[in-house]
Amino acid sequence: MSKIVSILEDIKPGIDYENCKDLIDGHHLDSLSIISLIAELEDEFDITIPAVEIVPGNFNSVEQMAAMVERLQEE
Amino acid sequence: MQLSGFLGAGSAMSMTSFFTLTFFMVFVPLCVISYTLVPNKLKKYQLLLASYIFYWLVSGELIIYLLLSTVSMLCFGLWLDRVQTKMKSTLSVTPKEEKKETKKRYIKKQRLIVLLAVFLHIGILLFLKYSAFFTSNVNILFAFFKIPVALTVPKYLLPIGISFFTLQAMSYIFDVYHGVIKADRNIGRLALFLGFFPQIVEGPICRYSQTAEQLWNAGPIKYENLTFGIQRYLFGMLKKLVIADRLSPIVIEIFDKYNEFSGGIIALGAVFYTIQLYMDFSGSMDAVIGIAQIFGIRMPENFERPFFSRSISEFWKRWHITLGAWLKDYIFYPIVTAGKMKKLTAAARKKIGNHFGPLLAGSIALFCVWFCNGLWHGSAWNFIFFGMYHFVLILSGNAIAPAVNSINHHLHINADSFWYRLMQMVRTSVLVVIGELFFRANGLRNGFLMFGKMVTGLVPNLFDRQGLINVLIRTGRNSLDLIIVAVTLVAVFAVSILNEKGISVRDELAKRKILIRWAVFYLLIVYIVIFGAYGAGYKPIDPLYAQF
Repeated sequence: MSKIVSILEDIKPGIDYENCKDLIDGHHLDSLSIISLIAELEDEFDITIPAVEIVPGNFNSVEQMAAMVERLQEE
Repeated sequence: MQLSGFLGAGSAMSMTSFFTLTFFMVFVPLCVISYTLVPNKLKKYQLLLASYIFYWLVSGELIIYLLLSTVSMLCFGLWLDRVQTKMKSTLSVTPKEEKKETKKRYIKKQRLIVLLAVFLHIGILLFLKYSAFFTSNVNILFAFFKIPVALTVPKYLLPIGISFFTLQAMSYIFDVYHGVIKADRNIGRLALFLGFFPQIVEGPICRYSQTAEQLWNAGPIKYENLTFGIQRYLFGMLKKLVIADRLSPIVIEIFDKYNEFSGGIIALGAVFYTIQLYMDFSGSMDAVIGIAQIFGIRMPENFERPFFSRSISEFWKRWHITLGAWLKDYIFYPIVTAGKMKKLTAAARKKIGNHFGPLLAGSIALFCVWFCNGLWHGSAWNFIFFGMYHFVLILSGNAIAPAVNSINHHLHINADSFWYRLMQMVRTSVLVVIGELFFRANGLRNGFLMFGKMVTGLVPNLFDRQGLINVLIRTGRNSLDLIIVAVTLVAVFAVSILNEKGISVRDELAKRKILIRWAVFYLLIVYIVIFGAYGAGYKPIDPLYAQF
């Protein structure tokens, strides 16, 4: 989780990532940030995030991102 | 016997408009009555039969394309399912170190199946819709280079709604490929999902997960659904018959003979066309969603008050939502998440920063989205220009966003204040109107000529009263038509404001006493009957989006 937080802070600083639960729905992260985030997550965790995974339910909070990463690592 | 006349094939083309007497006084009531009479377990078959009768009546033998699409969806879905099942069973017995390679092999096979499906479905669409455009442009090129060859420009009949049901069929195949849905073995369910009669003419472009099960499990008609559905339908009728169709002859006159009018009248024509298009398309969507609701089906919304948007980017999240979502899910994201694009994003981010880095990769995907969006609307250069116009606006909006934020910060401008938001909404609407001018123009050249005349002649003729009177006289209209349009627009605008504030007018109305409810209901009907643009002096106007 801390790795994801540090990636997010690098991409878009100034957001309380540990407590924010509506990163997408609350428009805290825009599509450009998501494009960067996907590239960084794939690089960091050696996963492939297919387009179909890009839904608010996977990116609204750090926990959801961590769960997605874990699931994709297992696949 | 010729097939074209068999059992009324193609004999009711007018039914593509949801507001003709044949459709709403004959077809829909017959459909509702027969649906009510058949036993519950047969209701789905009645809906399917009604949908195919509808398509047969409006399209005749072109129904073959709908049938082909349905069968193709079934086959490709099952083929993908077979490969996926085989992949799972193989992976379960494959050693861990070989799993990645094995999976890759099966994914490659699935991609080939998807590619074949795209080739077939999009190929048919391209062939029928764009071959004339392509060959006529090739002929222009030949003439330009003085090559003495002239290709015959083909002319194919375009099945009603093919641009819509092709995207819907493709979304099903993509979703099966991605594992979002399971492949369906029931051809009846797939046929109803693709061919449901109100939705097939101009959308909304539904996903299998949104409507397939609902349609197949549709139950008895409930009183609340019936009344809510009819109310929604009538609201659509108000938009289409009282506003859109009343403006139609004025718009045609201005766009066809723009060189006879001043810049102010051309600007007015562009505004009128934007209103006409919005009222026509969103009114038709109200009809589709309303009719579906009668049967208890919830269709996805296609409009969310687009003229309250603060940017062009937001506008397209509120206008023709299902097309935007389709392009985003099946073109934008697959491109930005492609291997090379992700590498480009990561490298560019390190070189040019967090904002412009991803913007570079995003802009390539955005270009593809808007090229497809423009081309989807029609086979003409002005549609492609329309797409590129919005691509440039969205891209530049993204590019200058940090600078705008910085200026606002330094000048202590509150970007959430009412006046700032209003300014953004007006700016967005003006940009949309300019885009619609090119969209509606009779060719790209005329679009530029109109735009040039509008820009150079707008200030001296901003309120060209005489020009407006001339347009009204030529079209057999008068100031009363404009007053009716204005009053109805105010009413629609008031409903939009309430909706924007999260207040549902229909829910509020449902809480009132029965007398008030029925009074509003009848008032709406009487208003449409008195002020609707139909009968003598009016030609029935087909839904504008049905031609796309």
